[in-house]
Amino acid sequence: MVFSIKYLENAKYKKRNKMKSTIKRSFLVGFLALLIPVGASAQSPKQILAAVNQKFMKVNDYSANIHLVFNLPSVTIQPIDGKVYFKKPAKFRIKTKGIIFLPKQNPYYSLAALSDTNSYTAFTTGEEKIGSTGVIVIKVSPNADDNDLILGKFWIDKANSIVLKSQLTTRSSGTIQTESSYGANANVAYALPDKMTLSVDMTKFKIPKMVSADINSKPSHSDNEPRKGTGVITLSYSGYAINQKVPDSVFTEEVTK
Amino acid sequence: MMLLTLIRLEIYKIITKPRSFIGFAAVTGVIFVIQFALYIDGKTYWDFLIQSLKDTFEIQGVIFNGNLVCFIILQMLLMQLPLMIALVMGDLVSGEAATGTIRLLVTKPVSRARILLSKYIAGCIYIVLMVAWLGLLALGLSVLLFGHQDLVVMKNDGITIIRDADLLWRFFGAFIIATLSLTLVGTFSMMLSCFTDNSIGPIIITMAVIILFTIVGTIDIPVFDKVKPFLFTTHMIVWRNLFDNPVPKHQILQSVGILLAHIAAFLGISFYHFTRKDIQN
Repeated sequence: MVFSIKYLENAKYKKRNKMKSTIKRSFLVGFLALLIPVGASAQSPKQILAAVNQKFMKVNDYSANIHLVFNLPSVTIQPIDGKVYFKKPAKFRIKTKGIIFLPKQNPYYSLAALSDTNSYTAFTTGEEKIGSTGVIVIKVSPNADDNDLILGKFWIDKANSIVLKSQLTTRSSGTIQTESSYGANANVAYALPDKMTLSVDMTKFKIPKMVSADINSKPSHSDNEPRKGTGVITLSYSGYAINQKVPDSVFTEEVTK
Repeated sequence: MMLLTLIRLEIYKIITKPRSFIGFAAVTGVIFVIQFALYIDGKTYWDFLIQSLKDTFEIQGVIFNGNLVCFIILQMLLMQLPLMIALVMGDLVSGEAATGTIRLLVTKPVSRARILLSKYIAGCIYIVLMVAWLGLLALGLSVLLFGHQDLVVMKNDGITIIRDADLLWRFFGAFIIATLSLTLVGTFSMMLSCFTDNSIGPIIITMAVIILFTIVGTIDIPVFDKVKPFLFTTHMIVWRNLFDNPVPKHQILQSVGILLAHIAAFLGISFYHFTRKDIQN
């Protein structure tokens, strides 16, 4: 009788131990299962930025058709079509038959700034969603004190290695925000966008006085205008011709009068 | 047929008076001086003016061009030109009264209304020629000298950039409104001319009224805000609204209507008084 009781207790104990080890093993497997994918894809912010750069570096030059739409506070400009040219590392030129206003930094200023990974410190601040795309947010701070860029923030689609949004705080032009959409563009392989929206800080902007007095005009702002202090310029690209050897002369002609 | 003869006669009278060419000479002189100054120093001056714009943006395109020079000239001249018109239109009736030829004129077998109408039409032809001359020099010569591209219009409340291809009709419209404004001043001057026997009175009164109305229209004091819509000088500068985007059609049409109403009123008073005018004294 005593033997049978001990046997039963022993069997229970063994069973409990077996269960415990099974649970432990499951936890371990589960924990490892969680760790392995993270370990496999854990890239440093600089690696992610390098991958973005590497993709864009496939483009030596390009030309494309461009349509510009302006929505600037206190400035009314009709949309205009033109031709855009780019050449590595950061030569950028838009040619139109009319007057256009552009941010002082060209749209690829941020990518050019990221090319030397030793010149800045990068750190991840989290993950977000832009539309339905998951993005990783990386902040970049230049190492040199005299750099025009003070702080950069990049929203990167890691799967495609493309920058969907960037926010640059510069000494010369304040804050410039760029949002890029790649849509059905086949050129996503080169990280070339279909559409780019540039938000320009215009808080320091003052309307110049005309040569002669403006007698009877009163401020007339509509609700459609952007928030005072922020101007938006939309660049829509089409008909990319990539790596077709754009001549340097395109960029050297006088542009500002 | 008789009216055409009378108009030809009145045009001949205008042409033979040296004062008729003062306006043309003044317009030519002022435009040449402005164009010369802008040709020499315009770009430097303009770069200084748009410095704040260049601090914020990279500007591509030729901002300082013939269209801008024309716009600057129009802003400067269209407020001064009425005085030149008053010199001619203020003399149409009172000049004849001063020399005594009015008696001879009204004894002809033509109605007084026809006589005044022929004078008025001749005066209007003078105005049209003056504006055409202004347009030729201000737009034609400026585009020839400075080239043409988009126009940058700077107002107190913002900057408007109008594409080159979208400009010609706006300038054409501006010249039409300028013609209408000058016709209003001319009609006002001629109306005053019907009441006096010397030309200095109508010319001086026209100048004084324009200066007074312009000052009241320019001063930004609330008490004048209610008066401004009733001053014809407020509506004479509506040509500038053609260079807005979008064009405020309603406001322009309203101002054009007010200008036409003024013309009709001044013309009505002129005809009423002239047809009853005592020419014996």
